[in-house]
Amino acid sequence: MRILPINKARMALLALCCAAASLPAVAAEYLLTVTRPNNLHIVDPAKREVLRTITLPGDGIPGAVAVPKDGKTAYVLTNRMESVVGVDLDTGKPVFRADFSTPQRRVKGFFAIAVSEDGKELYAHQAPVQLGRSEYKVEDTYIAVFDTADGMNAKPRRTFPAPRRITVMAATGKPDHLVALGWDMYLFNTKTGKMEQTFPLRHWNRPGIAEPDTLAMWGTFEQARAVSTPYFVAKTDVPPDSPEAFKAGIAVFDLDAETLKVKEFENATTVMFSSVINPVKRNEAFLVMNQLTKVDTETGQVLKRKELEQTFYTINISGDGKELYVGGALDKVAIYDADTFEKKGEITMPGGADQSIGWMRVVKR
Amino acid sequence: MKRLRALNHKAHLIEQAASDGHREEVQLMSSVVGCTTTFDPGWEVDAFGGLASLCQPMEADLYGCTDPCWWPAQLADSLNTARDWTDGKNSALRDWRELQTLFPGD
Repeated sequence: MRILPINKARMALLALCCAAASLPAVAAEYLLTVTRPNNLHIVDPAKREVLRTITLPGDGIPGAVAVPKDGKTAYVLTNRMESVVGVDLDTGKPVFRADFSTPQRRVKGFFAIAVSEDGKELYAHQAPVQLGRSEYKVEDTYIAVFDTADGMNAKPRRTFPAPRRITVMAATGKPDHLVALGWDMYLFNTKTGKMEQTFPLRHWNRPGIAEPDTLAMWGTFEQARAVSTPYFVAKTDVPPDSPEAFKAGIAVFDLDAETLKVKEFENATTVMFSSVINPVKRNEAFLVMNQLTKVDTETGQVLKRKELEQTFYTINISGDGKELYVGGALDKVAIYDADTFEKKGEITMPGGADQSIGWMRVVKR
Repeated sequence: MKRLRALNHKAHLIEQAASDGHREEVQLMSSVVGCTTTFDPGWEVDAFGGLASLCQPMEADLYGCTDPCWWPAQLADSLNTARDWTDGKNSALRDWRELQTLFPGD
């Protein structure tokens, strides 16, 4: 991967073209994250530095980031959630763009984009509104399928209906399967457009347990191949003033087995925004917001918790399960030891720009 | 409609649409797309009625809420109606003093 230190990038521009085909002999992991107004950053977590900043074309604000298995192209939801831009991570050049809206029809994608594992198709959940002269008409939501080879003016090759409120999507390990997280989890066949299975969350029927509430705005599933999200839920079989009346839990969808597991792990006393599964110890989940929390998803025990110096929205993990990366909200990615929760490093985004709602993905090259 | 009387042009159009049988063309909006209809605690007080689970510092949550149009009553809608509200102000912690108050019609 041609990832260049910022201060050397210009001088090496010419050499880049010739050397683009050469890849590191040993696979390395890089973090991808975004900042305002419309930048994508390639971060080397081992060196604790931003290697390269790619300015995305058009209006910001960047948010969700989807990457195929080969880690060569990053697809970023931007333009106020109305466009996806794909950039070649080797050259930094835009290679794909899909604008959802037209002057009469505003189409937003609320975080939910995903790319097939082979990188050939991009999926975007879309919520359209017809903009009339004196009224708006809300249309049904759907998933649009793009061919990533269609370049800079890509239009959907096909669409299929999908429920509202979908915020995270991921290709599963089975061909043509896409899982989408909304009120429930839905398993789609992207070729037929059929919703093949629903994994109930909002509509689970668990005695003594109400409907869960989630804030699943960040997709972090590539390392353990597991989509996860914290949730909060009221218990209906205890008095409302009982400490047991409001529980925190975690939902974990295994992308290869296509199974959903939920587990409450404590009485809810603090908010957690997002989570990641340890790829080495798959029973371990790490959750983040104002604290860093480690949970055993099998036993439902909180294993460790540490107060953080600021809020972080999103979390990811190294492939060996040893380091945690927390980011989003402000302008820093902080690195913590996954066992001791000792802070190992910190990387400030160029210009001190905020990551805000931006995702933080790991690519292997 | 006996007690309601159209006074302006738009009201007359609505009246006419109803009498012409176009009632079905009037759509009820479930929500403004991109904007949540969230009014639960989280900005002024946290979900537990306290402050500990608010974002720290509070500026950490400013752009995280305005960018996806969360709490549209409390924050500018950067997705739709106030797209340039934060232009050039890329750090909430550093630049929040430069953010201007928005008024209807801005």
